Amino acid sequence: MFTKILVANRGEIAVRIIRACREMGIKTVAVYSEADRESLHTLLADEAICIGPAASTESYLNMERIISATVAAKAEAIHPGFGFLSENARFAELCQKCNITFIGPSPELIHKMGNKSEARKTMMEAGIPVVPGSKEPVYKAEEAKAMAEKIGYPVMIKASSGGGGKGMRISWGPEDFEANFQNAQMESVKGFSDDTMYLERYIEKPRHIEFQIMADKFGHVVHLGERDCSIQRRHQKVLEESPSIAISKELRKKMGDTAVKAARAVGYENAGTIEFLLDKNKNFYFMEMNTRIQVEHPVTEMVTGLDLIIEQIRVAAGEPLSVTQDQVKIRGHAIECRINAENPAKHFMPCPGLITNVHTPGGNGVRVDSHIYSDYRVPPNYDSMLLKLIVHGKDRKSAIAKMRSALGELVIEGIETNLDFQYEIMNHEAFLEGDTDTHFIPTYFPEYGK
Amino acid sequence: MLRDMFKKTYTLIDTKYRSQARQEPNVPEGLWRKCRKCGEPIYGEDVKNNYYICPKCKAYFRVHAMRRIEITADKGTFREWNREMEFSNPLDFPGYEEKVQAAREKTRLNEAVVTGQCLIQGEKAAVAVCDARFLMSSMGHVVGEKITLMVERATREGLPVIIFACSGGARMQEGCVSLMQMAKTSGAIKRHHQAGNLFVSVLTDPTTGGVTASFAMLGDIILAEPGALIGFAGPRVIQQTIGQKLPEGFQKAEFLVEHGFVDRIVPREEMKETLGRILKMHARSGQEAEAGLKGEVNVETILPGVETAAGAVDKSEDELPQGGKTAWDHVQLSRKSDRPVAGDYIEEIFDEFMELRGDRYFGDDGAIIGGIAMFHGRPVTVIGQQKGKTTKENISRNFGMPSPEGYRKALRLMKQAEKFGRPVICFVDTPGAFCGIEAEERGQGEAIARNLFEMSDLKVPILSIVIGEGGSGGALALAVANEVWMLENAVYSVLSPEGFASILWKDSKRADEAAEVMKVTARDLLRLGIIEDLIPEKTPASGDNLGEIAMEMDKRIGNFLGKYGKMSSGELQAHRYERFRRI
Repeated sequence: MFTKILVANRGEIAVRIIRACREMGIKTVAVYSEADRESLHTLLADEAICIGPAASTESYLNMERIISATVAAKAEAIHPGFGFLSENARFAELCQKCNITFIGPSPELIHKMGNKSEARKTMMEAGIPVVPGSKEPVYKAEEAKAMAEKIGYPVMIKASSGGGGKGMRISWGPEDFEANFQNAQMESVKGFSDDTMYLERYIEKPRHIEFQIMADKFGHVVHLGERDCSIQRRHQKVLEESPSIAISKELRKKMGDTAVKAARAVGYENAGTIEFLLDKNKNFYFMEMNTRIQVEHPVTEMVTGLDLIIEQIRVAAGEPLSVTQDQVKIRGHAIECRINAENPAKHFMPCPGLITNVHTPGGNGVRVDSHIYSDYRVPPNYDSMLLKLIVHGKDRKSAIAKMRSALGELVIEGIETNLDFQYEIMNHEAFLEGDTDTHFIPTYFPEYGK
Repeated sequence: MLRDMFKKTYTLIDTKYRSQARQEPNVPEGLWRKCRKCGEPIYGEDVKNNYYICPKCKAYFRVHAMRRIEITADKGTFREWNREMEFSNPLDFPGYEEKVQAAREKTRLNEAVVTGQCLIQGEKAAVAVCDARFLMSSMGHVVGEKITLMVERATREGLPVIIFACSGGARMQEGCVSLMQMAKTSGAIKRHHQAGNLFVSVLTDPTTGGVTASFAMLGDIILAEPGALIGFAGPRVIQQTIGQKLPEGFQKAEFLVEHGFVDRIVPREEMKETLGRILKMHARSGQEAEAGLKGEVNVETILPGVETAAGAVDKSEDELPQGGKTAWDHVQLSRKSDRPVAGDYIEEIFDEFMELRGDRYFGDDGAIIGGIAMFHGRPVTVIGQQKGKTTKENISRNFGMPSPEGYRKALRLMKQAEKFGRPVICFVDTPGAFCGIEAEERGQGEAIARNLFEMSDLKVPILSIVIGEGGSGGALALAVANEVWMLENAVYSVLSPEGFASILWKDSKRADEAAEVMKVTARDLLRLGIIEDLIPEKTPASGDNLGEIAMEMDKRIGNFLGKYGKMSSGELQAHRYERFRRI
C-alpha cells in the first residue's frame, strides 16, 4: 500500500480523496494554483505544493509541474480525480515512466476509450449493443448525408473529440442535415482542432443510464449497479439517482452483465463507467466509457456501502477487489443534487465570488461533499460546482422527501446558486412520478432548458 | 481562516495497509528537455513527434542528421554513401584527432555530414545533411569531399541534389585545406548545374561562413527553416567590427527572404511535402521540352506562324468584338480596383503554385510574383506583376510598379525555366516600372534592358498576357514573348495617356484625347499586329466573372503550349526574334 498520495485536482473531489486517504492512514499531498491558496483541499492535506498561476493550463493541467511536485514530495501515487488530467493518456504514461502509480487504468486504455469512434468499434466487436451509426469516421457533408439515409432519421451528428454538447447536432431530416453537420464540424475544429465526425441514430426521449464498474489486476470485474443521470441541462448532468426507476431487477442484471462484459473486453482495470442510452422500449445501447471516477459516484456508494475512492486506491496498489459480484447488494435509494455557483435566471451563468455564510444540512442518510466554507472566495477560473448533496433513503419516495428537507436546510449566502432550481425539481410532480428522461428539463422547465 | 486548524493524517493506525517499501518516484534522464527559447520543460516524446519543435513556444531545435533524414525521407529508403571516410589532419594540428574522435563518439557519425540517396514522397534524390553536433558542422576536407562525391555521383546518375546546410563555416584546424573545400564543392555544383540537374539548398540554423559562401547559396531553389541564422560573417563578429547594435531579426531566414537570397521559408512540418512537390515539378518524365532544346533550327517552317503587323492588318473589323467603349473607357477599366490581379489568374488557372522569391542580389520585390506551377499536370513557370487590392496590400506591392530587383527576380525565374525546359507564362499589369531614386540607383534601365536582351533568345516558349495596364518598358520587360495577348479591357502603351498629354500638349487633363490617338486598346493593338490575341470580357473583368475569363485563358494557354511545345529551342528563339524584327 502507498504511504503518500498526491492529489492532482482541486475542489470537492480533492477533498473527497484526501478524506479517503486519511481514513486509510495514507499521507496526502495537495497541489494548488495561486488562486487556490485558501481552498479547502490546500488546507486539509498533509502537504501542499503550489504549482503555478490560476490558469489551469499553467497549474492543474501542467503535467511537468505535477510530476515534479510528486517527485519532490516523494509521493508514490497520483489520484487524478475527474476532469483536468484524469483522462489524459499522456499523463498516465508519464507517471508510469517516472515510477509513479497513476490511480486509474493504463494509458493505452485511456487512449482507446477516449477516442469515441475507436471505443465504439471495440464495443461492437465485443458484441455490446451500440446505437446504429457510422462505422467509420466521416469528414464530408455529402458522404455523411448518404450515411444518414442508411442509419435513418433523426440522426445525431457528433464530433469525435467533442464533449459537453460541443460539436453535437441533431438532424431531423435530409433538409436540415448539411447545415447541422457543418455547424457541428466547425465547432469541433474551433474547439478541438479535429474535423472527425460520426453519426448515429438519435434516440428520442432516452434515459442516460450508466453502470459503475470496478476491476482489479487479477481480472475480477464487478458492476455496482446503475445511476440514472437523465436529468440534464444542455447535456450537463443536474442530479443523479441510484437505482433507476426505469430499471427492473432483470434488466439491471442484463445491463450489468453487459457492462462487465464490455469492461472485460478491453481488459479494464480500476474504476470506470459504462454509459448506456435506454430507449422507451427498454432497449439499451453503449454510448461511451469513462475511464475515471465520476462526479456522481456517491449515489453508488450510498446504495452499495462501498467507498469507491478507497477501492480505487486499493486496486491501484495491487490489492484485489473487496467484493465479489454476489456480495454487491443495492440497498435503498440515493439521490445527488449538484449545487453550482451559477445563476438560473441568467442562463446559468457562472457567478463566482465570496461566500459569506454556509449552513449545511445533516442527519441520518444525508451527506455533503464540498470544499466550501464561510468566507471562502470561489475563484472564477474553474468549474462552478460548489457542493454535492447526497441523501440515502429506504426507497425513492423517502429519498426524495429527505432531499427536499436537506435542500431546504442548505444555506449558501453571498453568491448565486442553483439551489432553488434543484428544490423546484425535487418538488415537481413529474419528478416524483419518475417521468425523468433526458428531456425532463426542456419539458417541465422550458425557461431553464434553453 | 481555516489555515492550520485541521489535524493532519495520523499514520499509526491501519498497519495492515503498510507493505514493502516501494521505489521512490523519479524522473528518468532525458524524459524532459528544457527549451532553450522559453525555458519551459518539455516532454522529449512531444518534441520528437513534433519535428523537434518546442510544443510550447514553437522554437526550432537543431536536428541530428539521422533524425533529419528520418523526418524527410520515405520510410526505409535511405541508403548512405561514403559512410566511412578516413580522418585527415593536413596540418598535423595538435589535438585535432582527439577532438574529431570525441565528436565521433558523441554523435556516432563519421563526420559532420551524412550523404546518400533516398526517396522523398516517392521521388528519388541525393541528399546531404549536416550535423551541428560535430564540431559545429564545420567544413573540413572530409565534409567537402563527401559533399563533392555525392554531387558528382548525382550528376552522373542524373539525380536531383538536396543539401540540408548547417555550419559554423571553415574547419579552423585544417587551415587552407578547409578553405579550398568551398571552391571544390562549388565546382561540383556548377557541373551538376551545367548538366541540367536540380539542386535544392535547405538552410537550417545556423548556416554561416564558408558554407554560406559556397554550396549553400548556389541552389536552383533555396529554402530556409523559420528563424534560422544565415550569414557569412557571424553577428557577433559584425557587431564587434562595426561597433553598432544589429537590427532585430538581422541575418534570420526572414531577413534573407526580404533581401532576395532565399526563395521560401518552409516550416519543418511542411518540409518533406514541399521537397516532394519540388522534386515532382522537376521530375524527368516530361522530356519533350528537353528534346526541343536540342532540336535543329528550321526557320522556314516556323515563319508562317509569326503574325506580324503586315499579317494582322487584314483582320476584318467585324471579326473584332465591338465594345462600344472609348479608349479612355478602357484605360479606366484597366485600372479599376476590383479588377482581378495576376495572383487571381494564377490561382484560378494553375495548380500548386509555389512562389519563389528574391533576385539573389538585393531584395524581393512585392510588385512581381513568380514561381513554379502545374498546368494540367505540366510544370510551367509563371510570373506576374502584382497589384494590391487594399491600400495596405498596394503599399507592399508598390501599386504594381516593379523595382529593378523585381525584373531581376523575373529573369532569374525565366533562366531557371530555361534550364528545366519549362514554358514561361507572364501576366502583365503595371502602370510602369517604379520611378524613384532607389530604382535608379540600382539600375532600373539596366534591369529592363537585361530582360529584353535575355528573353529574346530564351530557349523555352514565352507567353505574355496583358491583364490590366501594360505600362511602357515596365510592361515590355515581361513581354518579349512568342505571343502577347490582351484582355479586352486591358491597355498597352508606350506611356500613360496622362504622361503623353503632358509631354505632347503640356496638359495632362487631355488624357482622354491622348488615349484615343495613342491606340492603346487591345482591339487597336491587335489591328496593328502588336499582339496576337484578344480575350473577350463580356462584362468588365471582376471577381464575378474571373472564373469564366480564366477558363477561356486556360483553353487558349493549352493551345499555345500545344503549338509552341512542339518547337525546338532554335525555332522558338527564331520565332521570337522575327516577331519583333518585323515590327
